[in-house]
Formats: sequence, C-alpha cells, structure tokens
Amino acid sequence: MIEVIGLTKNYGSIRAVDNVFFKINRGEIFGLLGPNGAGKTTTIKILTTLSRPDSGRCVIDGFDVIENPFEIKKRIGVVPQENNLDRELTAYENLLIYGMLHGVKDNKNKIRKSLEMVDLWDRRDSVVSGFSGGMQRRLLLSRSLLTEPSVLFLDEPSIGLDPQIRRQMWDVIRKIRIEGRTVVITTHYIEEAEALCDRVGVLSKGRLIALDNPQNLKATVGEYVVEGVNGDGKIVQHIYKSRDEAHKFAEESETPVTIRKSNLEDVFIKLTGERIE
Amino acid sequence: MITSGWYPIFLREMLLFRRKLLRLGYLFSAMVVPIIYLIAFGLGLGRSVKIEGSDYLTFLIPGLVAMSSMNNSYTWVASALNLNRLYFKTFQIFVQAPISPSSIMIGEVLAGMVKGVFASSLIIIIGFLTSPGFSLTPIFITILFLNCFLFANLGVITGMLAKSHEDTATYSNFFIMPMAFFSGTFFPVDKVPFFIKPIIYVMPLTHTNIVIRKASVDSEGLISLFVLIAYAIMFFVYGSMLIKKYNE
Repeated sequence: MIEVIGLTKNYGSIRAVDNVFFKINRGEIFGLLGPNGAGKTTTIKILTTLSRPDSGRCVIDGFDVIENPFEIKKRIGVVPQENNLDRELTAYENLLIYGMLHGVKDNKNKIRKSLEMVDLWDRRDSVVSGFSGGMQRRLLLSRSLLTEPSVLFLDEPSIGLDPQIRRQMWDVIRKIRIEGRTVVITTHYIEEAEALCDRVGVLSKGRLIALDNPQNLKATVGEYVVEGVNGDGKIVQHIYKSRDEAHKFAEESETPVTIRKSNLEDVFIKLTGERIE
Repeated sequence: MITSGWYPIFLREMLLFRRKLLRLGYLFSAMVVPIIYLIAFGLGLGRSVKIEGSDYLTFLIPGLVAMSSMNNSYTWVASALNLNRLYFKTFQIFVQAPISPSSIMIGEVLAGMVKGVFASSLIIIIGFLTSPGFSLTPIFITILFLNCFLFANLGVITGMLAKSHEDTATYSNFFIMPMAFFSGTFFPVDKVPFFIKPIIYVMPLTHTNIVIRKASVDSEGLISLFVLIAYAIMFFVYGSMLIKKYNE
C-alpha cells in the first residue's frame, strides 16, 4: 500500500505540490491526472526517491520514502517521462546493467522474459539509438519490470506514441496488474486514465482536487454533455446528470448541438474551468 | 556502505568506452593535445634546453603523462556525469538503484581512471620512442594511478555541481588549464616567482609532477605524496556526499 500524507514541494517561489493526501491500495492501477505543471511528475519523483519533499510523508509497503529509501528502491520500478535509456548500448546491455544495479538473481533469464513481454527479444543486440520512439518506451517498461517490483511507477508512459502503440502499451500494463502489482500512472491523456485506472486523482496547480473511480468522478459532475458553438465561435458545454435533461436542453437550443457521454476532461473543466490536454 | 554496486556502473562506462575506442576520433582527441605540446616544446624548443642536468624531453615526458592523466580522468568523468545527470538522465538510474553513494562514486572514478591510464599509456609509448632517458619506475606507475584517481574524483564533483554542460568548460578553464601550465609540466616550479608559489603548491598536479619525476621518494616526495593522498580522500568523500544529497 502507498500512503501520501500532506506532501508539499516548492521550487523557489513555485509550489509544485501543495499538501497532497491520498492512499493507493495493493494491486490497484492508480492514475494521477492533470495538465503539464500540475505536480504529477514531482509527486512521482518524491515517491521514487529522486526528490525530497519540503514537508509531508510518503510510505510504501510500510517504509518511509525519506527515512528508508534503500528499502523503497528494492520494491519499485520506474518508467520515467524522459527516456533515460543508454542510447549507445544495446537493448540487452541496458537491461543487463539495470539488473546488476538492482542485484537481480538469474538476470539473463529475467532479461529474456522482460524483453519477450514487450516483443523486443529479437532486437536485443540492436543499439537503442536505432529504435523508434515506441520501441524505446517499450524497452523502458521492460527494464522497469526486470526487478519484479511490487509497485510500478509510470510517468506519462504513452507520451508521444501513436494510438496503436499506445494500446499495445496499455495491454502490457493490464498484464502487469493481473500479476498483482500496484501501478501508479501519471497522464494527461483522458482516454488513458479512463481505459486503465481503477481510481484517478485529479491534480491542478499542485493540489489534489478530486479522487475517485472514473465513473463516480463523471457521475458527480454529470454524465451527459451538450456541446455547441456560440456566436463568438467558442465551444460551449452544459453537463447534465440525466439523459432526459440533456435532450430537453438540446431540443430547446436555437443553435445546433451534440450530446455525448462526459469524460474526465469534462470533470476537470467543471472543477477548474481549464482544459487538461 | 560500500557494496559491489560499483561494478555495473564501471561496466556500463567500459561498454560505452569500447564503442568510443572503435571511433578514430576518440583516440585522436585523447592524444592530440599532449602530442602538440611534445612537438612544440619538446622537439622544437626543447632541443636547445637542458633542465636539472638532462635533456628537456626527459623532463617533459613525465609532465605530459601527468597532464594527460589529469585531463582525461577529469574531463571524461565531469563531462559524462554532467550530461548523464542533466540531459540523458541516465544518472537517475544509479540514484534509484539500491546501492550506496560510495558505490556510484567508485564505479565512476574507476572508469575515469581507465580512461586516464589509457590516454597516458599513449604518451608513455611516445616517450619511449622519442626520449632515451625516459623510464617507468614503480613510483611513476603508482603516482600515475593516484593522479588518475584524484582527478576522476574531482571530475565527479564537477559533474555533480555544474548546472549546465557549459559550466563544466568554465570549471576546466579556471582550474584544470592553469594547473596544466603552472604545475611543473613544462618547467620546474622553483623557477616561478616566489609570490605565485603558494598558489602553485595548492595545486594537486604540482605534487604529482614533483613525485612522478623522482627515482626514489625523499622527504620532499613524501610530503607531496601525502598531499595527493589527502586531496584524493577529500575529493572522494565530498563527491560521495554530493551523490548522497542528490535531490531534483
């Protein structure tokens, strides 16, 4: 289990994370959703021992991140937002070094298993700089799984990937979950949060403004969105809790409108007045 | 706590180094500066100069070896670590691994030493080819390794402190470049004006140049040896501390 208690982090005068509290259950896929600069990556950096908070605590599997980082490092896998593979080394060498750093026993077999999981075993001896963006993201995921971590942190795992590769990545993440691991994902892709996450924490300007499963989050603001364009050419949205209310508004509207199901972007707009993507 | 966590860091650097060696540009860049100095000062100016009773090349070659070991141990570590920390983010893999800061330090420093010893070996070969008076003594070899160790440690410190890759060049211009010229590489330090001497004796390379030219360790050599060891320990401890306090 992961527990974040009153986490705060400042960079100079900017408060990147502002008194954030949440709990993540074992085996859960938990998403941190928010636009760039919302504090998602800073929260992940603190949880993965790269950054120290100014105040607050984080506990993973009973170990405090600040007081016992060594135990935390043994339990976590990280896919960072920025690709930190050694581009001049081969896929195999990247995993070999990583496995040795983490004291992985039976390293060679586990490297094979990890590379096969993301369909990269046949490219094991290729230098990473020759890989496409999607292959490098898959290799990052494979590397993070090599240590068989109980908690996996994925910071914007599908950023920059085309939709097809993104869906392949989601399939791998779902497989990881089946193995019983806890997965923490940061994303600003609404579709990704809705497709993968059991619960989503919505971050805005460093603050956690909502936390629930995607269905409940949508239900609280309304499940039906009536969308149209006003006289200034701007998109105008009205969110309703029932289909009948939405239809009634659409029928009475003087301009053409469409009705659709709400998504987490609508939740974010309702809560902050801003867009995520 | 020091664990065997240093080995994957060292291995990674060696795998990268092996690929660099296959490029001719790397070998050339490691050798070009000392060879220019050797030709300009040793084979040009040096033909008409005698120092401490022997020909100038016999004096110059150990100095060039010390300079080359300093430059290569320091520069490759400082530059690679800084780039890995700020741009490629591969340093973060080490920090997030369950290994001690000292292990990271040892892995980086040993890799820097290999690069320093490699570049120095090229100068040593040239020394044997051009200077009949040049010889390798146990003191020479010991000091060569100590010098590489010391400056690789300093490289880690620079790599950790520099806020941008351009900053590493600034550090080099202020500390490494003056040391190369004023620490007894090209002329004995007793020839410099007395008011500069205190600064010169603070520079670690001065002490390397003092000991590396000695056939046996006398009292002057012993003091310099202790100074080098003290610097090496100090730099190692400070570098490990910087890694321990790493915070994004």
